[in-house]
Amino acid sequence: CESDLELQPEDNRKTAENAFKDPDAYKQFLAKLYAGLAVSGQEGPAGNPDLEGLDEGFSQYIRLYFKMQELTTDEAVIGWDDGTIKDLHAQNWTAGNEFIRTMYSRIMYQIALTNEFIRQTSDEKLDSRGVDGELRGNIENFRAEARFLRALSYYHALDLFGNPPFVTDEDPIGAFLPEQIKRPALFDYIEGELLDIEDEIAAVGSNEYGRADQGAVWMLLSKLYLNAEVYTGTAHNAEVIEYTNKVINSGYQLADSYKKLFLADNNTNGAQNEIIFPITFNGKETQSYGGLTFIIHAAIGGDMKAADFGVSSGWAGLRTTSALVNKFQYQETEDEVIFEDNRGLFFTEGQSLEIDNISSFNDGYAVAKYRNVDVNGEPGSDETGEFVDTDFPMFRLADAYLMYAEAFVRGGGGSQANAVAYVNELRERAFGDSSENISAGELDLDFIINERARELYWEAHRRTDLIRFNRFSENGVWPWKGNVPQGTTTQEFRNLMPIPASDLGVNTNLTQNDGY
Amino acid sequence: GNVSESATGLPVPGANVIVKGTSNGTTTDFDGNYTIENVSEGDILVFSFLGFATREISYEQQSTIDVVLEEDQATLEEVVLIGYGATTEQDATGSVKKISAGEFNQGAVVSPEQLIAGKSAGVRITPGGGAPGEGSEIRIRGGSSLSANNSPLIVVDGVPLDQRGVQGVRNQLNSINPNEIEDFVVLKDAAATSIYGSRASNGVILITTKKGKKNSDLSLTYDLKASVGNIVDKVDVLSADQFRNLIEETPGTDASLLGDANTDWQDQIYQTSVGAIHNFTATQGFDNFYYRVNFNNTSQTGVVKTDTYERNALNLALNLDLLDNHLKLGLTSKGILDENRFADDGAIGAAIAFDPTQPVYEPDNNFGGYFEFKTSPRQEMVQATRNPLALLEQKNGRGLTRRNITNLNAEYKFHFLPELKFNMNAGFDYAENEGYNKRPRYSAANNQDIPFEEIYSGFNRNTLLDFYFNYKNEVEAIDTDVDLTAGHSYQEFYIENRRQQTISNEVSVFPTVIDRNALESYFARASFDIADKYLISASIRRDGSSRFGGDNKWSNFPSASVGWKVHNENFLRGSNVLSKLKLRAGYGVTGNQEIGSNYGYLGIYTPSIARASYQFGNQFYSTLRPEEFDENLKWEELQTYNAGIDFGFFNNRLSGNVDAYYRQTRDLLAEVPVPAGANLSDLLVTNVGETVSRGIEIGLSGVLAQSEDFNWDLNYNITFQDLEITRLSLGDNPNFFIPQGGISGGVGNNIQIWKEGYDPSTFFVFRQVYDNNGNPIEGAYVDVNGDNEITEADKQPYKKASPDYFMGLTNTMSYKNFDFSFTFRGSFGNYMYNNTQSSNGFVAAGTNTPQDYYANMNANVLETNFEKSQYFSDYYIQAADFVKLDNISIGYLIPGEKVDFRASLTATNVLTITDYEGLDPEISNGIDNNFYPRARTFVLGLNLKF
Repeated sequence: CESDLELQPEDNRKTAENAFKDPDAYKQFLAKLYAGLAVSGQEGPAGNPDLEGLDEGFSQYIRLYFKMQELTTDEAVIGWDDGTIKDLHAQNWTAGNEFIRTMYSRIMYQIALTNEFIRQTSDEKLDSRGVDGELRGNIENFRAEARFLRALSYYHALDLFGNPPFVTDEDPIGAFLPEQIKRPALFDYIEGELLDIEDEIAAVGSNEYGRADQGAVWMLLSKLYLNAEVYTGTAHNAEVIEYTNKVINSGYQLADSYKKLFLADNNTNGAQNEIIFPITFNGKETQSYGGLTFIIHAAIGGDMKAADFGVSSGWAGLRTTSALVNKFQYQETEDEVIFEDNRGLFFTEGQSLEIDNISSFNDGYAVAKYRNVDVNGEPGSDETGEFVDTDFPMFRLADAYLMYAEAFVRGGGGSQANAVAYVNELRERAFGDSSENISAGELDLDFIINERARELYWEAHRRTDLIRFNRFSENGVWPWKGNVPQGTTTQEFRNLMPIPASDLGVNTNLTQNDGY
Repeated sequence: GNVSESATGLPVPGANVIVKGTSNGTTTDFDGNYTIENVSEGDILVFSFLGFATREISYEQQSTIDVVLEEDQATLEEVVLIGYGATTEQDATGSVKKISAGEFNQGAVVSPEQLIAGKSAGVRITPGGGAPGEGSEIRIRGGSSLSANNSPLIVVDGVPLDQRGVQGVRNQLNSINPNEIEDFVVLKDAAATSIYGSRASNGVILITTKKGKKNSDLSLTYDLKASVGNIVDKVDVLSADQFRNLIEETPGTDASLLGDANTDWQDQIYQTSVGAIHNFTATQGFDNFYYRVNFNNTSQTGVVKTDTYERNALNLALNLDLLDNHLKLGLTSKGILDENRFADDGAIGAAIAFDPTQPVYEPDNNFGGYFEFKTSPRQEMVQATRNPLALLEQKNGRGLTRRNITNLNAEYKFHFLPELKFNMNAGFDYAENEGYNKRPRYSAANNQDIPFEEIYSGFNRNTLLDFYFNYKNEVEAIDTDVDLTAGHSYQEFYIENRRQQTISNEVSVFPTVIDRNALESYFARASFDIADKYLISASIRRDGSSRFGGDNKWSNFPSASVGWKVHNENFLRGSNVLSKLKLRAGYGVTGNQEIGSNYGYLGIYTPSIARASYQFGNQFYSTLRPEEFDENLKWEELQTYNAGIDFGFFNNRLSGNVDAYYRQTRDLLAEVPVPAGANLSDLLVTNVGETVSRGIEIGLSGVLAQSEDFNWDLNYNITFQDLEITRLSLGDNPNFFIPQGGISGGVGNNIQIWKEGYDPSTFFVFRQVYDNNGNPIEGAYVDVNGDNEITEADKQPYKKASPDYFMGLTNTMSYKNFDFSFTFRGSFGNYMYNNTQSSNGFVAAGTNTPQDYYANMNANVLETNFEKSQYFSDYYIQAADFVKLDNISIGYLIPGEKVDFRASLTATNVLTITDYEGLDPEISNGIDNNFYPRARTFVLGLNLKF
């Protein structure tokens, strides 16, 4: 009977050996690497999750990344009572925070997935499986994209945690203890990887929608260089100019209206020409309780009509603080608040500007930026109004413009005229005409950090930006920062997230970030 | 004269009556009557019947001699099943407890494990809730694992059941009709269990069902138990007036959202449950063939409306003795049709939270006439609490399971060497199920434009083939009884299930899931009884499992034990006081392989199914995910040391035993955080950590009165136990912990932890600060780490859900034809997290709602006046010690000419003595949240025997 103990899966699960007998398996595995940013498991919207440590809907990559980058700043508060979620805005999180932990797990999971892909597509493996011809060529492209996605997640780890565990395709799968990498070394690794694949990955515009191309690599390099001083102590602003230039000159185009960037049809309404790297969502095919489904539902409450946003209900959680609202020009009349800057997509009816009680949805203006309706106001593909079609713009041209301008101001070279022109392009779109254009003299760092807030709020850049401008912790005050209504400064060590206590507990190679 | 039995007063048919020293004799007839002739004065009449103490009465010219036979404890308890064989109680060296039918709990018992709740030290049986046919959590010595299954291995008539249960039923043990159970044998320590090797760490329960008897007349029995039950208490929520006042007083609320009704939603969802259990039994025995056939119909409604359970079962036991009794064939077969209508349990929580100022019905609306919160006439508020009654009445959820458990046993005594026996079991347990859950399109709980429909089906197949040789002989040369056993077993489990469900207005067909695993085993045992004084026993099992790979596939599980029958020593032989004294000690290793997944050691790939695809271009690609794995996955290993004393005084009128144990689990299988980046998930089932458990178990039984008319037995047991995690991770950080115990209120909130040095059910909370009047101050907690902030770093391990000690007391009395019994159970040192209070006992729970409606609050809000949630306050960790009068029963027997008639009246869940404020202090995980209340039930029993 002893051979009866050698049992293998008999349903749709397969051993690696059997799975890769199917030539389609490689692209499906690649799709998983991308889907790792969009869904939370192998069943949409939930069921068979990737991560087990927290509720599945909560564990979705973009949902967590949004929380890390936005809830910790002046751009967002959340009213819910889930675990330690309120500690993010209060900036009193500890190494036990489950949202920080799950972000960390999600990032490291994504890295482990990409490592496995790279292992499974080594020349040796492909030779042994007799993979050649067109498929072999495609797989080479897939590998470059896998390395891009690995670099992207390592970039998130670099930015959030600084000194994460370091694993590559050279490591096995098991329960070993990965070594910790220091921030500057990780910077070098990510830079090296991106430079390595720069010419292997598909040229701008030549890849299928949703897949990364050279533009995405250049954007990531630009962001890496822009924050290099934070990561390594050495600025790399000239490289920011170099790589944003490559992006800007590759044929991307600003969408004709700001609003279109955040609609259900932002993959077809013209916004796709501005979006350099989207995380795609679809109400029927790519469902999860994270991503834009979370951002849209959670931002709806009070007097907001869910139907206006193409969904069936609001979850009444996310709002913003007066610190963001006051960066916009607006006029208050008796019964409405009018924003001259059309990027100020706030819902104010029944909402107070200031927040008395974070738990109450009516405290703080609501943000009506993302919607699950198309340019004609028609809702997305899921008739039940639960899951959305809106894609998340991870990188878009406007950000490249602003990075260029900032790098110029920071002395990275480039052209002042271009820098001003790029900023004014955004402002003309925002105000409908050139009346609010700035002059060269007005282009300074103060202006840029505020303009970045106006242009890019709720796009998961804010925390990184504030740290780069040294306004995140020991400088910079906004409502409820430090867990007091008027806000207070916190300690500098909060510029880095803690290594989660749970991983410190199991991996003795890790040292906690200072201050925690 | 007439011969009857003392315990029940029933006549004893077929008893032998013989004149001592002659062949002159007769047997009693069906009614226990006999006539014997040719008896001279001074002759001694011997009355005997199997299982009863033989009585001798001298003939003094009486015309009638009526005799009452006493059950012979010694013979009745003589044989005790152990794995792959049997021993006698006095020769057992392990910790073994046999519970026979006479000791079972009374009442309309549907789930067999409830027959023995409170009957044995070291065994804790916690009913899962009050749903009809609901199962229980069974823990022998508290369980030894963390993530792996902690339920004991259950062997029914020689067939080990799948520890994971079978699909579609509320309790897999319901397949065993309680009426048909002869006895339970609980194997507690490793000396007793390790013959079951890799599945024995959590103890073993052997269930033997009733068989026919040789040479017995046809006997027909009809037994009825009719029951009615009601909930004992309701959750204390605000009344409509209190609620209206509170909403009106709370700033920022809009009282116009309230209705003007006065609805007690809990009254709306609960009902009087009714049930009936019918048993028809026929038994008959001939010289070499005997049988027992039982048909059972059980039907019960729940105390929650729409909940029903029905069972139709046919039990068959056939025995055939061939070749001059050298070959014994036994067939037991249980066919069960198990039908459920499953209520929507969400109604229990909804009834607590639904606005009491709203009416139940709103005629002619779009939601089937039930009041619902809505944003427009057609659109319900998706986030709002749903009408509890609509949840129940609009859900049609039914499941049907057909199951057959059959075992064919053959025992052959070799003709040339009758001391050698060959025993073979071919067992088969097949359960197929099908069911559905439906809701109409217009139900507010269905957020789709089509009717909600989920359809599922599947089957579980468990096949067994085992055989062993047994050699039993007395070797006179060394004055030793030798008992040797060796055998082989193979068992395979195959599970398949299918499901389809409407999601987002479409029917989604899920891929068929197949899981197969197998176990192969070799086992042997040797037992020696030297001079009827010294016992030595050793066993070994070698198990192979398909769930592990490489060198870890096979493992050995040895045990050794000794016993000393002190009472057989010369210095005690004549004692009038001490009638039994035996010392036992044993050591053994057992395992646990119930880790959940079957291929945990093998890296496999899982395709995604619908709705988890990713868009490339205009196409959506399903994905392929590599699963986490641990190549080195292996058995969890439990080492047990056990020592015990069995004693009896005054001819065993007072007897008992004391067992003490120390257990250490190594290579604990736990789902723990894996070092980030090292594997393909955040948590991994792997061998990590250790637990240590200790306990003392005491059982006492006293025969307080023993006479022809009046008998009184009292049994008592108490268990002290302690379980502690001693190691939890691959690292050595003493502060490392893993959150456990999800609660209601806030997603991802956990109230318990696993941490080194603590019981696995330990709570993890903030220490509440109280004002001078003893009232909790909202949000004020002890700043444990002194950093002037209250963060989760200030949470402390505090109290635990498992008891420090628990006990059971059973009383049985009979006076003439009356009998009377009751069972008390108590549990001490256990705490409960009152999640019902913590999730609804603050103002914002009612007012800070995502849409325009309000929710009712737990009345506890009036005591705490909490505005916001304080989920992690130790205020909600409440002592849940209890004493329960589980059942009390009175019966009366009317012997008749042709028919014996017995009537009984039983009340169950009669009384609970506790300080705990929630509905029930007995909830297995220690988190009281939307608990399905247990009914207090009254049962009328009728038994007719023809």
